[in-house]
Formats: sequence, C-alpha cells, structure tokens
Amino acid sequence: MNAEKLLEVRSLCKYFHVSGGTLKAVDDVSFDIFRGETFGLVGESGCGKSTLGRVLMGIYTATKGEILYEGAQLNPNRPGARFRYAKKAQIIFQDPYASLDPRMTVGSIIAEGMIIHNLYDGRRRAERVNELLEMVGLNREHANRFPHEFSGGQRQRIGIARALAIEPEFIVCDEPISALDVSIQSQIINLLRDLQERLNLTFLFIAHDLNVVKYISNRIGVMYLGHLVELASSEELYARTLHPYSNALLSAVPIPDPRAEREKRRTILTGDVPSPIHTPPGCPFAGRCPSVCAQCHSEKPALREVLPGHLVACHLVGDDGVFKG
Amino acid sequence: MERVLTIEDLYVSFDTYAGEVKAVRGVSLHVDKGEVLAIVGESGCGKSVTAQSVMRLNPEPPARIVYGSITLCGQDVVHAGDKQLRSIRGKDVSMIFQDPMTSLNPTMPIGKQLTEAIRHHQGLGAAEASQRAVELLEQVRIPNAAQRVKQYPHEFSGGMRQRVMIAMALSCSPQLLIADEPTTALDVTIQAQIIDLLAAIQKETQTAIILITHDLGVVAGMAHRVAVMYAGKIVETGSQEDIFYRHAHPYTEALLNSLPRPDIDRSSGRLVSIPGSPPDLFQPPKGCPFAGRCSYAMKICQEQMPPNFPQGEGHEAACWLLHKDCPKTMRGGAKE
Repeated sequence: MNAEKLLEVRSLCKYFHVSGGTLKAVDDVSFDIFRGETFGLVGESGCGKSTLGRVLMGIYTATKGEILYEGAQLNPNRPGARFRYAKKAQIIFQDPYASLDPRMTVGSIIAEGMIIHNLYDGRRRAERVNELLEMVGLNREHANRFPHEFSGGQRQRIGIARALAIEPEFIVCDEPISALDVSIQSQIINLLRDLQERLNLTFLFIAHDLNVVKYISNRIGVMYLGHLVELASSEELYARTLHPYSNALLSAVPIPDPRAEREKRRTILTGDVPSPIHTPPGCPFAGRCPSVCAQCHSEKPALREVLPGHLVACHLVGDDGVFKG
Repeated sequence: MERVLTIEDLYVSFDTYAGEVKAVRGVSLHVDKGEVLAIVGESGCGKSVTAQSVMRLNPEPPARIVYGSITLCGQDVVHAGDKQLRSIRGKDVSMIFQDPMTSLNPTMPIGKQLTEAIRHHQGLGAAEASQRAVELLEQVRIPNAAQRVKQYPHEFSGGMRQRVMIAMALSCSPQLLIADEPTTALDVTIQAQIIDLLAAIQKETQTAIILITHDLGVVAGMAHRVAVMYAGKIVETGSQEDIFYRHAHPYTEALLNSLPRPDIDRSSGRLVSIPGSPPDLFQPPKGCPFAGRCSYAMKICQEQMPPNFPQGEGHEAACWLLHKDCPKTMRGGAKE
C-alpha cells in the first residue's frame, strides 16, 4: 500500500444544539486515511463514530475544522460540491431493512445513483446492474424483485452493490454487519475484502465489534465521548494498548474460547459513559479511568505520537510510549 | 442433581396467513439446579420460541404447542390454565428480555415495578415491598438504591435498566431464570459488567439459568452446558468444553470457525464462511436442515433427519457422519 493521503481530517468538530445545551458529538478529531487502506473506527454507542462517518460523507456539515479530500478542501455547503463528492464517496448503512426503499425494485435501487450522476446509457446501466449483482454474490434475476423478498444478508449485499454502482473510491461502512447473523457476517466481511482488493477501494469501517474491526482494518482509531483517544495499526493496538480506555474496551470483548476466556485478565469499568452535553473539562475518560490522576481532571490530554504511527491522548503515557499508571 | 426443567419432544408452530411456520421441531432438553444452559443459534432458529414456551409467553394464537411436554419444577406447563400460569410466572420461572429500553413500564417508578411480582406472589404490604425493592437494587449493585427506587425508567441508563430487569426477575427467587439475549442491546464494556453480575448472582443463589444468545463469546464466559439450535432443532448438545473443543456437528464447527477471533488479522486470509442462508420454516426440509449449507453433505442427509448420536457423557449430535457405518475419513474436522 502506498502512503498517499486520500482524506485528511483536521480538528473536526460536530456539535448539535439540543434542549439541554450543546451536544459535542465529535470534538476536535484529526487523522488521515490513506488510499487503499481500511481505517477502523471503534467505540461504544454515543461516542460519535457514526456522526464522524456522516460528516466525512458530507451528510452533516462540520461545526468546526476541515476535511481535505485528495488535498482539496471539502465544503458540502458549496453548490454542487456535495454532489461531486458523492460520486467519489459512498456509504453502506447498518440497517439493511431501513436503508432500501421498499417500493423500488432492486434494479432501480442500484441504478438510481448512475441515473443521478448521468453515467452510461440505459442499456449499459442495465448491464452494469447485472454485473454489480453478480459481483456481490446475487444473480441477475434478482434485479426485478423488491427488497422485502430478500434476507438481511442479501439486502446488505444490495446495499453494497448500490454503493459500488457509481464507482466510488471511498466507502464509509457504518456498522455494515451488526444487524446480521454470525454465519452471514463472515460472508459480508469476505465480500468487502474481495471488493476492496479488486476495485482498490478505501474503507472507513465503523463498528463496535472489536474482533471484526481488528480482522478487517489496517489501522484503528478508538473513540470515546467524541474524542479520538488512540490511533495505531491494528497489530500494534492489540499488541501494545496504551490508553486505559482502549485497554478496558479490548479486555471486555468476550472471546469465543472458554479456556482463553478463563485466563484473560479483565478490566471491568465502573459506571456508564457520561453525557456528551456537559462534558468534563479534563480528559473525557477521567470519570471512569482506573488509573486517573489529578492532572486528568483539569487538563485535556492532546493526541500525540508516542511511538512511530501510534498516537494516544493520555497524560499517563510518557513520550517514550510507556504507560505510567 | 435436582431437575428444574425438562422439555421433551416439543413442537411449536405459528399459524400465519402464509401458512404454518414450524418454529420448533422436536426439541428436548433439561436444566438442573445451579446450572447455566446456553442455547445458541442464529435468528429464527427457534431458540427464543423454545424458551418462551417454558413460560407460555408466545401469544396463542398464532403460536400453538403442537406436541411435546414441558415440566417445570414438577408442574405440567403445556396443559396449565391461566390461573396456574400466573402462579408459575415470576415465582418458579422468570425472564430477562433483550431490550431493557422497552421492557420496563415508562409510567411507573422502578420500585413499584420491581415489587409487583412479590406483592402478587407473597402478599407483601406496601411498606415491606418498598423495603424489599431497595434490597433488590442493592443485590444488583445499583448505588443509592434508596433514592433510585423512586425514579422512573428514563432516568436510568441502558446498563442500569438491565440491572433493574435482573433484580425484577430475581425478586421471587425463581428456580429458573431465562435470559433472552441479556447483553445484545448493550455496549461491550456494559456487557462485561452485566455478565459478571449474572455470574456472581448465579453463584450466590444457585438459580438455574437458560442463556439464549448468538454470541459465542458470552457462552464461553458463563455457560456450563450448551445446546446448538438450527432451523427449529437442537443439532448438538454437550458441556461447554465438548462444544468448543470436541464439537461433532458440522454446523457447530462452521459457526465456531466463522468467528473472527482476536488472534487473527488481515494477514490471516479470508474468514471461513457458511455459504447460503438457513432454510425456510414454512416448508422445512425433510432431511437434515443444515444439509444445503454443509460441506460434508451426503445423499442420506437430504432424505432423512439424522437421530442423535451419543458422543460421550451428556454430549450428543444429530449428524449422519457420526453413524457407525459412515467412513471416518469423510471429514478433516477441526478437532483437538
């Protein structure tokens, strides 16, 4: 993989104004996504990972900060910019039941993007629908059917075909397998990987299943309460977890192996994720952190590179990449 | 061992406009005191229907127990009338549901909901009941229990609500607790808290638990015995070790192999996946339900349902490959 930056995210914030105040869904997040890689984003519900995915797609407008796509600044408010960007960036949604229009045939769902972007003529579009259906493991007869005739796994394949129809470069996969059964999940993961190799796609893979994220991602970012708290390559993150939250998150994942499960050392966190409306002034994780110190409550730690390619936002990690908790 | 629950040859169908859905097709299982039995399987395999039949919670109609017997603490559940069912539910068996957000009454304070069952079954007065509610919340490790009992469900987080559900289920010290996907709706760090709590309470009270889940990680963490269900049938049962390390059924094997484990990553190549999807239960196949997706399927698998072949103490699997006349070279299964 070459290290060409496809997407650069700089101090991105997305706030929502709600009745209780300002909800900081994404707060000062910066990272890059390289061409051809899979960037995994993990965190618990409400941590802002889906909001971040939607801001990167241009579905939401960022409150602050900037997004550079292939070096050019992305401004979805500029007329036509969102439209041109949509040709390059597509999204696969979590819920394969809610994300397909029940009144459209599968063929017209897949062809819609091509029509909007004025790609190909009618005959070529029909051919392309058939190609796409076969590419995602369905067959061409399925084009005339309606979404309700398909199972969850098949619907997710339709969602993938729709995203691929206009030949995008970048795809945000927002929990694409969470709604599927175990035996179907692996089919979809394999399909996504095959397509990535064939079409040289770049993925932002959002999920809460850490085992899946580890399997599919080159690099992983861990989010907590709107902040990116740790970022490293997938092997590095598992081999040398630095942030106490990442540590707790990884250790909480049940392993499907009773012996390993018995031997595993677990950090069980107390309490719940605090409200993102009145965020504490210091480290967002300070309230639940088992190794918290005085500085954590007063000062927000910045995300910094402590080891090559390994970034962490924690006061307790020294510049040599050693945790002093 | 004291037997809490015995289910024998249970058939449950749902009568729908499109026809009869044969959701459960001949399930037999038992649970002893102090034991955690996990029922694993994909959605639609009949695991929840089986468990809900124990409390007769499936709405009848459309649900119908076609055949079979369910014996809970010596009582016949299948032929029980409404009055008897009311005395069983909550007292002998209780249930924790998947979604803590929708299974509590939003218009009722937590304390009152918690003690509804005790007041019904034990005839407690209001003052005693509210005292008991505080104790129950303390049992599930909810801080400030005395203040919390007066609050409403919306003031609790997801994990806290699931704790309330557990407290409610345990309020009458039932013999059997059915936990239907108790952690599926929760985040992973909260899931770990709830599993720990369930395991600790199970040890303290020696309540038998039926744990319904599709997450084999949760099974590895707390089950003693495991039943693997597929298309309305139990295809394999055994101890936790039997299922994870000495599994005999190709479905169990495929299910375990298809999971991404923490020790694999991008370099490990493709995941093993099970092709196809489960059969339609309007017209279940006459042979083995897994035959269509099984990589070892033989001619007989399409024609005839395999019986259960014993694989050792308490371990059995329904697969023709285990028949004594089947050549053992047929498969290079992932065994120890």
